[in-house]
Amino acid sequence: MKKLKSVAELEALRKKAQKQTGGDRTFVTVSGGTCGQARGSVSVLDAVRSEIKNRKLENRVKVRASGCLGFCEREPIVAVYPQGVFYPSVKPEDAPRIVADTVVGGKAIEELLYVDPVSNQKATSDGEILFYSKQQRHILGNNGLIEPTSILDYLGIGGYAALAKVLSGMTPEEVIDTIKQSGLRGRGGGGFPTGVKWETCRNAEGDIHYVVCNADEGDPGAYMDRSLLEGNPHSVLEGMIIGAYAIGASEGYIYVRQEYPLACENFGIALDQAREFGLLGKNILGSGFDFDVKVSRGGGAFVCGESTALMASIEGKPGEPRAKHVHTVEKGLWDRPTNLNNVETWANVPLIINKGWEWYSKIGTEKSKGTKIFSLVGKVNNTGLVEIPMGMTLREIVYDIGGGIKADKRFKAVQTGGPSGGVVPESLLDLPVDFERLVEAGSMMGSGGMIVMDEGNCMVDIAKYFINFLKEESCGKCTPCREGLTQMHKILAAITDGKGKLEDIALLEDLSWTIGNGSLCQLGATAPNPVLSTLRYFKSEYETHIKDRRCPAGVCRALVRYRIEEEKCTGCALCAKQCPEQVISGEPKKTYRIDESKCIKCGICFDVCKFDAVVVE
Amino acid sequence: MGKLIIDGIETEAAPSKTVLEVARELGIKIPTLCSHPSLPPYGSCRICVVEAIWKGRSKLHTACTFPAWEGEIRTDSEPVRRLRRNILELMLAEAPEAEDIRALAREFGVEQTRFPVREEKENKKCIMCGLCVRVCQDVVGFAAIGFENRGYRREIAAPFREPSDACTACGACSFVCPTGAIDRRLFAKVEPKPIPSEFDQGTTSRPCIYTPFPQAVPNKPVIDTRNCVYFKNGNCQVCAKVCVPRAVDYEQQDEVLEEEVGAIVVATGFDLFDMKTYGSYGLHRHPDVMSGLDFERLLSASGPTKGEVRRPSDGKVPKRVIFVKCAGSRDAEQGMPYCSKVCCMYSAKHAILYKHRVPDGEALVFYIDVRTAGKDFEEFYKRATDEGVNYVRGKVSKVFRRGDKMVVWGSDTISGRKLEVEADLVVLATAMVPDRSALELARMLKIQHNAHGFFTEAHPKLRPVETATAGFYLAGAAQGPKDIPETVAQASAAASKVLELFSRKELTHDPNVAAVDEDLCSGCGICVDVCPYKARELIERKDGKGWVIKVTEVLCEGCGACSAACPVGACQQANLKDKQIEQMARAGLQD
Amino acid sequence: MSGQFEPKIAGFFCKWCTSAGADLAGTTRLKYPPNVIPVTMFCSSRVDPQYILQAFRDGADGVIIGGCHPGDCHYQAGNYKTMKRIILVKRLMQQMSIDEGRLRLEWISAAEGGKFARIIHEFTEEIRNLGPLQLAQAVAPGHGAKG
Repeated sequence: MKKLKSVAELEALRKKAQKQTGGDRTFVTVSGGTCGQARGSVSVLDAVRSEIKNRKLENRVKVRASGCLGFCEREPIVAVYPQGVFYPSVKPEDAPRIVADTVVGGKAIEELLYVDPVSNQKATSDGEILFYSKQQRHILGNNGLIEPTSILDYLGIGGYAALAKVLSGMTPEEVIDTIKQSGLRGRGGGGFPTGVKWETCRNAEGDIHYVVCNADEGDPGAYMDRSLLEGNPHSVLEGMIIGAYAIGASEGYIYVRQEYPLACENFGIALDQAREFGLLGKNILGSGFDFDVKVSRGGGAFVCGESTALMASIEGKPGEPRAKHVHTVEKGLWDRPTNLNNVETWANVPLIINKGWEWYSKIGTEKSKGTKIFSLVGKVNNTGLVEIPMGMTLREIVYDIGGGIKADKRFKAVQTGGPSGGVVPESLLDLPVDFERLVEAGSMMGSGGMIVMDEGNCMVDIAKYFINFLKEESCGKCTPCREGLTQMHKILAAITDGKGKLEDIALLEDLSWTIGNGSLCQLGATAPNPVLSTLRYFKSEYETHIKDRRCPAGVCRALVRYRIEEEKCTGCALCAKQCPEQVISGEPKKTYRIDESKCIKCGICFDVCKFDAVVVE
Repeated sequence: MGKLIIDGIETEAAPSKTVLEVARELGIKIPTLCSHPSLPPYGSCRICVVEAIWKGRSKLHTACTFPAWEGEIRTDSEPVRRLRRNILELMLAEAPEAEDIRALAREFGVEQTRFPVREEKENKKCIMCGLCVRVCQDVVGFAAIGFENRGYRREIAAPFREPSDACTACGACSFVCPTGAIDRRLFAKVEPKPIPSEFDQGTTSRPCIYTPFPQAVPNKPVIDTRNCVYFKNGNCQVCAKVCVPRAVDYEQQDEVLEEEVGAIVVATGFDLFDMKTYGSYGLHRHPDVMSGLDFERLLSASGPTKGEVRRPSDGKVPKRVIFVKCAGSRDAEQGMPYCSKVCCMYSAKHAILYKHRVPDGEALVFYIDVRTAGKDFEEFYKRATDEGVNYVRGKVSKVFRRGDKMVVWGSDTISGRKLEVEADLVVLATAMVPDRSALELARMLKIQHNAHGFFTEAHPKLRPVETATAGFYLAGAAQGPKDIPETVAQASAAASKVLELFSRKELTHDPNVAAVDEDLCSGCGICVDVCPYKARELIERKDGKGWVIKVTEVLCEGCGACSAACPVGACQQANLKDKQIEQMARAGLQD
Repeated sequence: MSGQFEPKIAGFFCKWCTSAGADLAGTTRLKYPPNVIPVTMFCSSRVDPQYILQAFRDGADGVIIGGCHPGDCHYQAGNYKTMKRIILVKRLMQQMSIDEGRLRLEWISAAEGGKFARIIHEFTEEIRNLGPLQLAQAVAPGHGAKG
């Protein structure tokens, strides 16, 4: 492929690409992100491909291995276009039928279609599925339309049009102005206005300016950045190139964690392709603008998501934050002005340029514009990546998109913002989700993790879990974070072990204040949030643990007792068979009993009992 | 530039400096642990936290990293104190054995921590401030130690936890460590080589830049270029970085100063007899056998133990100290035949001071004679015995170690018994000998000295401070063993002699200057080359017929070389003509 | 006297070193033969060769000159001059059939009382072994050029 030397050459190539890939041609998309592959999408893809080959349809039907489609609960997903028929949870043996009936026959196979768990209605296309229809998938939606390793696919759906627009007539100031007007704010969690950041960086003095893409997605349960890098790497890259142009940067870095092999691979391919096409390198599209991106692979430290730690890591130093009184936009990588944005932020940039800031700023709330991708996980029926306009209420997300709580249990709280976020209780379910509201509620946007909890979740245990995560991931540089979290975890562990003291609550509050106000970096400063927000909304649970030595959710092993209710026990002996310690005894057809002195409180009996005879106390 | 108000004190904002720097300039004390002037701000310990009020909002920042922007800073407000207290509590749990942290905590009213001790942590003194790691990497340039693990598992360690060659045991890490948490054996293969403090008789070590002793003149530090890291490998330069007036100059060289003087007072002092011939006394071979001078440092409030009497081997307070007098003195065979004169009195002083410091201790003095010739000296000796110092008349034959005791073999010549006494510490009253450099000086100045190297005065009774050479005077132990009052007296006398010399309008000169008999002088000029003082020159005769010698008498020192060289006998020394000398010899020979 | 030959030796000693050394030998009670007649000079370089010859004529069986060690001269370099002169005087003595061994130059410092005593001892013995100086009549009465 020859390098594209002008915007016109790019547009000509796009037309060619659209002819090949777009329009009303038939193609089959098999989702193949890391999550899909884990659920067997590779064998489904192989099955579909061989069936197409068997039927000698290779020339007529294109099979795409796409990135993640977001509906993790129902992976692997196969979609047939142009009809848009949507098959969730496909098994390889379904492939021949799908090809025969839908691809060739054009008909949907009824029994493979998605059934709404609440209404029991069948949905033919994704648009009919509540999970999708309530979303606005401006960023994620393209994942299903392209093969991530194909730049032509990306060009076919209008890729690099934003870059072309920028290079063929926008000044850097105009680009920055557009971003500023759009109201785009950093998606990494801080929510700093992106345009302002770019402007400050552009105006900062320095011989070289850098742009950096933060792809060190470290929150447990958040994976939208991975999904974007895997499924649509060019969109992120295009955002970075536009940003570099606006800021005046000639070098870029993407800091991506080593645990994301597919993301590394796909983004690497995208870089190679962009260089080959002349979209990276010297004199991009004949504009005289030079820019290239290097991949820096992180070792998987949570703290390296913090900008100064990330930059230290790129520089080859230990990933530890430094004081940020002088911002990284002024002194970042190698003490030069550095603009760092998160993957999702960069992916928003081409969208804003293409559709204009007026369009973009209409989405969302007054202060939080655009859409935000959340990873909706936990006790909801539909887990997955959801992209919603800012301002949607938690209730809509949990009940409409998420399809409600699993097994009809009672909703308890949503944990947002990753480990250093907080919990939002039921009383705030109608909270519109944006940067400010979440902070007011004692949580935060963070990277967009959203963990739904039901009555079976113990809030003290949740707090302990997150504090443990943060304690393990603390870099250990400053005392409040390193020591404070360690002591905090000890206190929480004592409470869940039934050894809590009433004054522990005050001590937790004092420690939270100390860590929050004393820590060096934002990760430390926000680290007490899990404790603070659970204390704020669920203090009584702490008190019950301490005063009554009881865990209301029945989670904390030291505080629960398993008992078999004689009236309900049918003597099926299932529990006795499953008990790993063999401490359930009795005679078949009669009642069974648990020897509490030997019970390790694993809860298996509780889980396996079909008659609810095992109770937790 | 706007105003910065720190604790109500208004000053100029200085964004290039940190709040800590500005506060210190204003004399405001902010506690720090992880900060060191030689290293860039790090901000890990958080103890230097201050409250910044900006646009009416209050936020806590570390003073070591926060730029001195305009605004208001409070260094001692309640939030600041609360945070410091809580951090100190966390540190007490992290480093329960760190005494310095305990002391700092007490300053903030923290006696105990609410948190359990971090049992799993290995180093119970380390607060992970990272100074050691940073100083090793960024200042010394070795990077021999680093952080191991992250978060609460963090420890300071050598690579792979094995002592490495990279570590030279320079001790910079221990030096900067605020809590004394460094165990160098974990890092270094080599033993640290502390530089012995010359002033403390090697009982303590000193840094590479040091003031030689508290009353040094000039009282300024010097750099020991043989040991300084900068002179060795070009790194460090910490002393220059921390010196506020920028007085440290690595380019300075030793200088030889040439001064013209009218008189020289030689006061080279004394050294201690090296005791090599007294191997059986084991001086310095056993750490608990020391010289009187060592013991003097041990008693000093500025000494290695800050005045507490603790023996070098194990730091214990010695319960019995034996003083051995005449260690090298009055011993023509092995040591010096003369009496060192001062030992009797200083041993008595040492024994008394020891008894004062250790009232239940026993002081035992072995002596040949107790010489107390001097005003109040005998009374002082009496006081020593009255205060319980035991004197045993007899010499000591051997000192050796047995267990943790030193054993002294000696004799009691009064009762005629052999003695074996165990002691915790043995102090030898080693003989005084002239300073080792005195002989070289004597040769240079042509001053006479006796067989032991003590300078010889011009006359033992009538000219006790002058030397045989005009203009050279003596003071102190360079002339012979003497104590401080005697030295002061002699020095004062020498000074008066110098003043007397200088105050004269005319100087007397030896009359034996050379002259010339112009009638005999042939004008050959041989004597001009021979004269070392340029006292002779060749001039034209008055009548213009040939040349003749002119003598500048004041320049002539009267060596007589010219006279001996003159082929015609025209050159003669006044009062010491050739004939006179010949007559002297003849008189003797023909006698 | 037991009839043993007691030589007469003239000694020309620098007052800065050898003379002081002689004093030291005396004050330290060192024993040495009384055969040397010492004449103190300001410097060994003051020793005119004529004094040596005159001494032989006046009955000396040996002459010893004591100066400062090389580099130690009070008058900077007098002893070097002496050293050169003594070589010449020894040539002269050869011509006069006087044994070279009867003239000796030694460096004895003020601190070398022991060395002084030893050298005097040695030299006295050497001269004793050489026996009395027998000067030819033709040489003996002559006067030098200098007065």
